[in-house]
Amino acid sequence: MRRHHWKPDWRPAAHLLLACSCLLSAAQARADNIRPFTADSFKEIVAASDGGEFLLGLWSVDCPPCLVELRLMGGVLKRNPDLPYVLVSTDPIEDRDLAAEFLEDFGLAGIESWMFADHFVERLRHSIDPNWYGELPRSYFFDGNGNRESHSGIVNEELLASWFKRPLIE
Amino acid sequence: MMKAVMSRLTQGAQRTPAWPRPWRSRLAGLAFLVAFAAALPAGAEPGNCDSRSVSVHCGATPSAAFDADGRLWVAFVHDQQVFVGHSDDLGRNWSEPVAVNPIPEDAEHNGENRPKILIDQDQGSTNHPAIYVSWTLKTSPRFTGEIRFSRSTDGGKTFSAPRTVNDDGLLAGHRFDSLFQTESGLLYLTWIDKRDLKANTDAGEPYKGAAIYYAVSKDRGKTFSPNHRVANHSCECCRIAVAPRGPDNIAIFWRHIFGANTRDHAVAELTPGGAIALMARASHDEWRIDACPHHGPTMAQSAISEDDYHLSWFSNGEAHQGIYYGRFSFADARTHDVIHIDGMAGAGHPFLETYDGTVYLLWKGFDGNKSSLRLMRSHDDGASWSAPETLVATSQASDHPLIVKSGQGLHLSWHTDEFGYIFAPLAPRAGFGATQPDGDHARVGVDTGGG
Repeated sequence: MRRHHWKPDWRPAAHLLLACSCLLSAAQARADNIRPFTADSFKEIVAASDGGEFLLGLWSVDCPPCLVELRLMGGVLKRNPDLPYVLVSTDPIEDRDLAAEFLEDFGLAGIESWMFADHFVERLRHSIDPNWYGELPRSYFFDGNGNRESHSGIVNEELLASWFKRPLIE
Repeated sequence: MMKAVMSRLTQGAQRTPAWPRPWRSRLAGLAFLVAFAAALPAGAEPGNCDSRSVSVHCGATPSAAFDADGRLWVAFVHDQQVFVGHSDDLGRNWSEPVAVNPIPEDAEHNGENRPKILIDQDQGSTNHPAIYVSWTLKTSPRFTGEIRFSRSTDGGKTFSAPRTVNDDGLLAGHRFDSLFQTESGLLYLTWIDKRDLKANTDAGEPYKGAAIYYAVSKDRGKTFSPNHRVANHSCECCRIAVAPRGPDNIAIFWRHIFGANTRDHAVAELTPGGAIALMARASHDEWRIDACPHHGPTMAQSAISEDDYHLSWFSNGEAHQGIYYGRFSFADARTHDVIHIDGMAGAGHPFLETYDGTVYLLWKGFDGNKSSLRLMRSHDDGASWSAPETLVATSQASDHPLIVKSGQGLHLSWHTDEFGYIFAPLAPRAGFGATQPDGDHARVGVDTGGG
């Protein structure tokens, strides 16, 4: 007959400890909230919006007009913090520190943010819009009724107001 | 055929490791690759690349050139260094690459920004053709960079300490370098420059885009002239195309900003002394946009009329969407025979070259799963074109395709994640795989795409 000894199981506690320390070190290593954008991420972003309206902004650290747009959007969001806005940087996620620095500067560090995490960029671009040629900045407005509109180049407040169908606080 | 392919793949390299075994079997299993498998590199397979694997297959954004003896040279970026290597068998085996910059620096390496390599066809007194290399050094802060140049006069064994060619001493953008040598031996470096943007911004004045600048070396890269400005208000993020114009001058083709914000193209003729002999608008696409297209143009001089230049570019303007071809004439400073080449959204990065009276236009497309290279030919200097054919496709990431000219013909230079660095004959006929009966059909793959 086998003898049974009660043995304390430390595994859950150990896992918890491990998880905590991992989270802690991850938080230390990554001050930003940037997520890796893969071929499935666009669907995930749209699904997370739950059919509601939102604005998707595509940008790159290597695109001077994008920075003009981010500065503008930083100002718009400061005055209109309820505008649902998601950012996707087309730079490799290895450049996240530089991207995070820009987002911080423009007051957009708190916005849901993604970066391209597969250097087969054609496929990632295609997953967002097969008819997008890759020019930046590029914006998509999802109106909450299943429609989306696109815009290449810097957005302006007039366009945003017409998309969101409400005047922006100036 | 398969036996020949396998035997070539298993011959192994003299100086670099052979393709690993799993790769040989994978290649053998891919029927569509058979035709071009013989041209596949014998270097390291990209999946096996780690930070220590320095080879053109593992590196990024290669460019290539032949010397007068038919030796193929490449420059590529690996871990903050520009490397140069050579091959005596058209890219099957490669020499041990030599670092151009001994001190690592952030050399730009993306589709529109790559190290450039040129081999002087005149061996001079050293018995070695000089090797010229240029690249863009990314500097901090944002969007700044410097135009770097180095040369080797001992056959690629050593390179001179890299030198900065932009002479303004400003921490401003100097990027998208293009390197070209004229028939008379003058070396031109052309780039996109933001010194005027900076000066205007500092003075509180508005300034659209960037500027095009250049410098000339009359002593084979030993020294460069002061910088000359070609034009204010260029687009900021597209490569500049260069072609010869007479023995001493060059023609350039770039994306410019016309009017308030129309990002169409311009052509100019540059002279060694800094005078701009001609400048003209070369495309009327009406692309009014506050954005970075990241799609640079291409240009090749006509082999029939020295005043005519084949152009290809990308636009998404009101008038034109997709890749276009046109032929610019210096005689009337206009672009003729403008033809729509490919309107698929994934199409881009065209490359033009001429060989033996035929114009070749190569570009990359994407169908949602695969990137494929497509080729069209014109036997009447661009007035009419063959139907496009698909050469080769990859379902992984790839660089922009380039065409490299040698005395014997044209070659495809294409870096892919899947196959490593592909260097394969394009014209006058494929040196491998199926060749069409008229002997003038370049086939890299066996898949022929439709219009």
